Amino acid sequence: MKAKILKALLMALGVNAALFAVFFFDLDGKFLFYVVEPTLKKHYDNMPRRDMTKMPYEMNKPNYEYNV
Amino acid sequence: MKYDMKALAHDFWYGKPHQERRLGDLYIDKTGLYKHREWRGFKDTMYYFYNIWMYNYAHMVMDVVRYGGLINFAKGVWRYRWVGQTYLPVLHWFDRGMEGMRGEGLKASAWHYRGMVNATIFQFQRMFSSDANLRGGKRNYRWHHNVAHNETVWGGVFYPWHGKLTNVPMEMIPYFVTCHVNSHTVLNYIDAVQSIGLPGDPCPMCQAEAGLFVLDDMPDYAPIVITSNEACDASVSTSILQDWFLDKPLFAMPQPMQFDDPLLKKHCRDEIEQCWKFVEEQTGIPFDWNSLVKCIESQNELQKFEWEKWDVAAKTDYYPVNGVAQSLYRIYQSQFGDLPVWHEVDGHVRKILNKCVKKKINSFPETRHRVLAWSCAPLYYSNWCTWAYNCWGLNTVMNMDSLMFNMTIRTDSYDHCLDDMAQYHMWAPMRRMAVGGMHHIFECWKYMEEFNCDMVMMYDQLQCKGMQGVHGLFEDEFRERNIHAIWMPHALPDSRTVSRMEIRQIVNDYMTTVMHEEALDPTLLEFDDSMTW
Repeated sequence: MKAKILKALLMALGVNAALFAVFFFDLDGKFLFYVVEPTLKKHYDNMPRRDMTKMPYEMNKPNYEYNV
Repeated sequence: MKYDMKALAHDFWYGKPHQERRLGDLYIDKTGLYKHREWRGFKDTMYYFYNIWMYNYAHMVMDVVRYGGLINFAKGVWRYRWVGQTYLPVLHWFDRGMEGMRGEGLKASAWHYRGMVNATIFQFQRMFSSDANLRGGKRNYRWHHNVAHNETVWGGVFYPWHGKLTNVPMEMIPYFVTCHVNSHTVLNYIDAVQSIGLPGDPCPMCQAEAGLFVLDDMPDYAPIVITSNEACDASVSTSILQDWFLDKPLFAMPQPMQFDDPLLKKHCRDEIEQCWKFVEEQTGIPFDWNSLVKCIESQNELQKFEWEKWDVAAKTDYYPVNGVAQSLYRIYQSQFGDLPVWHEVDGHVRKILNKCVKKKINSFPETRHRVLAWSCAPLYYSNWCTWAYNCWGLNTVMNMDSLMFNMTIRTDSYDHCLDDMAQYHMWAPMRRMAVGGMHHIFECWKYMEEFNCDMVMMYDQLQCKGMQGVHGLFEDEFRERNIHAIWMPHALPDSRTVSRMEIRQIVNDYMTTVMHEEALDPTLLEFDDSMTW
């Protein structure tokens, strides 16, 4: 039982230390800046998109006016 | 090399004194990333690590799950540039806003950011969980129970349907907040609208908002739309493009320019009532007066606490909120309207505020000048005030946008309530003091006195025709009143027109050539962050 608790404590300590390293050395920022953002940008730049200007602009829409 | 162990131990525990921090040395050239995050002393570094960095990452996941689930979020990130490119590096937004901060100031400012993150996730998750674009055109229950509106239409207009309909501004999250978090994203939308023939000189805010639609990057999340003219005629053009590309029942509820006229107030009251009729007619859900009163009273509580905060900021040195947290939180909260998270944040901030006043804790001990920031700020560099304090001791105590909705709303009768709601609606962003008439833009002098400020940071939005019109009048008044004012040119969301580095250079030049002062941290005078978020 004691060994299990000790193991869990050591693991928690290890995870904590690893997270602190990510935090302190701004590894989250570096990963997002150098990997995630360029990948997503490439994806967004190559996405097929509707040409919105091809939509007809309906000029005879109802005029919403109310007596108050 | 000999180390002074006593000094090292002191720095480890308390952090370095302000003048020895050399914050500029922490940056990786151009990117704005950190070689390592700042060591703020043991207690504050651990607070930042556990209570800000880890706490906010964890709560972001919880908020995403709570407001619409991970699948909707993943679909939204894949489909919409403004969420994927912008909101993933949100913790870097915290870093930029809270550089150099310590103790209670760090805690209070971070709570403000937490509130904004929660409100942002709430909005985009509501959009994605209702979005017909992500469901092959199918419209779900949530889609039928949303109202889309322009971001300068105050969310309080929809209080009568609280719990039955959810109002989500169209541009607040896809445009406005993105500029603060990742300034790159918005450039795509500005370029998109110019690519269909719009000239480059209108306000880039209106351009970017229209560009979202041109690039087909707006979720289809609601059956009806309420638009406004925001602050100017460029925004009217945006509304026309929105009407074209959304093709939904649309009610236009413009804000009058010269809002002091009582006849216009009557007109504005009528328009709010017409908007209510429109919502009732389109959704089939009746107006609920009790719901309106309940929400207004809840919002009034937020305003009352804001007045307490202003009181401390104006009369003492113990205000623990930095300039960027103050301005962004306040404009977000007062424009969006009531949300549970604002009350939660205010509860935390109240405790910190009381502690600071009681124990006389000065969170900005290196203050050389108390600054009032006036007019509309550069969205891509809203954290300039954090830099200005660290570099020059310029403490931005208050800003124009915070002071805009300076009122509570009466609920003792329908007539009083509607009257005050009309007033609130007319005091819209960029309207109340910016283009709302010379009398109001010159409230600057009154607030300088009230907040005990000796300097003005005068924002100079180069593409705002309204504000450019009063430039000369301000120059004359500054001279006449012998006020130190630094003009900060910018193009609202477009960081290409005036870069952050150029903005810093203008402040540096004024502080050295006019004020004859030396930088508190010389490493912050000149650095290249041209590629930063």
